[in-house]
Amino acid sequence: MFVLPAAAIFIVFLWLPIAKGFVYSFYQVDFVHGNTFVGWDNYRTVLSDRDLLVAVRNTLYFVGLCLTIGFWVPIFFALAVSELRRFQGFVRASAYLPNVVPLVVLYGLWRWFYDPVGPINAALQALGLDSVAFMTDPDWSMISIVLMETWQQFGSAMLIYLAAVLSIPRDWYEAAEIDGAGIWARIRHITLPSIRNLVLLMLVMQLIATSQSYQSQLAMLDGGPMKATLTYALLIVKYATTKLEIGAASALGVLMFLVLALLAVIRNRLQDKGAGA
Amino acid sequence: MVERGILSRYDFRRPGVKLVYGLVILIIALMVVSMLYPIFVTLFNGLKTNAAVNSFPPTFFPDGWHWRNYREGWQFFDMPLYLRNTLLIFGGNAMVIFVVLGAAAFSLSHLRVPYKRAVTTFFLMTLFIPPTTYIIPNFVNIKELGLMNSFWAFWLPAGANAFYLLLLKTFMDGIHHELFEAARMDGASDWRCFSRIALPLSVPIYSTLAIFIFSTAWNDWFWPSLIMHKSTMYPLSTAIYKYVIGARQLDLNIRFAILSIVMIPPIAVFLLFQRFIMRGLQLGSVKG
Repeated sequence: MFVLPAAAIFIVFLWLPIAKGFVYSFYQVDFVHGNTFVGWDNYRTVLSDRDLLVAVRNTLYFVGLCLTIGFWVPIFFALAVSELRRFQGFVRASAYLPNVVPLVVLYGLWRWFYDPVGPINAALQALGLDSVAFMTDPDWSMISIVLMETWQQFGSAMLIYLAAVLSIPRDWYEAAEIDGAGIWARIRHITLPSIRNLVLLMLVMQLIATSQSYQSQLAMLDGGPMKATLTYALLIVKYATTKLEIGAASALGVLMFLVLALLAVIRNRLQDKGAGA
Repeated sequence: MVERGILSRYDFRRPGVKLVYGLVILIIALMVVSMLYPIFVTLFNGLKTNAAVNSFPPTFFPDGWHWRNYREGWQFFDMPLYLRNTLLIFGGNAMVIFVVLGAAAFSLSHLRVPYKRAVTTFFLMTLFIPPTTYIIPNFVNIKELGLMNSFWAFWLPAGANAFYLLLLKTFMDGIHHELFEAARMDGASDWRCFSRIALPLSVPIYSTLAIFIFSTAWNDWFWPSLIMHKSTMYPLSTAIYKYVIGARQLDLNIRFAILSIVMIPPIAVFLLFQRFIMRGLQLGSVKG
């Protein structure tokens, strides 16, 4: 049976930890003395933690920022690039290039960019604007992270949209134009409806992905300044690594699972619809 | 050359359209510059003297080509060791994924498996469970299995990837069933069908996967930092995060030289295998 090795690996390294997450959330996990059952205590601990509210708010803020800053950018550029008659390959490749920059390089590089005497502040000063404390100002820190992540990730989204835009039959535009449709009408009534399902799918996928974000926040600012970049997922990691409360971390994971499972179901619906269209 | 897009030749005769189109091209050019600028900054900063990197306002081009920075960066820590660890993780992951998931995908699409639908669901259901929600139990699980500080903690879980399984299975669904029937007529076993027919025919999807696996292994810094407590076991990314990103004593030019060293291989892979990556991206649009 060829399925067995894979099945075994899936059970041991995927289903088992998922199940253990539920179990641990009712236990106090102690690597030395063994685990003890504590009932709902872990849930009580995390729900009464002030940081939970902060983390939920930060996560929603982050997700919202990613939508307002990052979501429309790839769509706009996909439309724009699809109209390029030359150098399209070059533009595609350069838009995608940041995607292959390793995360640690991204962090090292952007830490320098955001430095008080870094290039961005130099440019701002040259334009006669005030310099911005991108990393240390709590109002700016999350925005800085979203800008950085948008820089890195928007290329792949753009290419996915671009493929969809380019697969729209040219005759449709031709026919619409003969019927007297202006450029904007063509975009509004042909292009956008054609990629509508994809946009919705990408939206839900982005929601799922961004709501789990913690690595950049951890690496760039360790959740600071003043917990301004402490996201929910980062709170989970912190519970486990600095407070060593595995049970509480598991409980947080279970709570998050319940919320995100809903989104996953929606995504599944959309994907089926997208495949049918 | 595209014959027409949303815009036709007639549109381009109107001056208003020309103006807006020119503006859009300008925005695209700006986008391209802002995509490439940081990458060149990294490369150039790694070639400057430290004083030049620290000058304010910063300059773009290097004040000379100081290749020595690369040697210093290379010697800053045990780069070959970390590189070896990363490549070990990549190789092992690829082996497990290719063999274990390949076999599973093959049997799900071409062999008789009891309760096939249920088994497929069992694998693919895991796509819907967000990884962050069980990251900590996963870590504890590895610990309880006694796999801490061991490369097996990467190799084995690498096989538990429903997304790769789905890609493999979708690809193998496209291989004609008659091929295997003919082979079986000639007395080939299931294993021979897999290793002599399915594997060679799946080379395209395997190359796409190899690139995914490479970039994951090259990129991942957080998970290894949880699993590996011995610094001699760190992969390159984790070592960079621990010793370079947070370092205070390290000159900026050397820092950028190290970052360049880490950045160049994936960029080279991208430029060499662009076609595979672009295809992988289309597949990737189903990823969660």
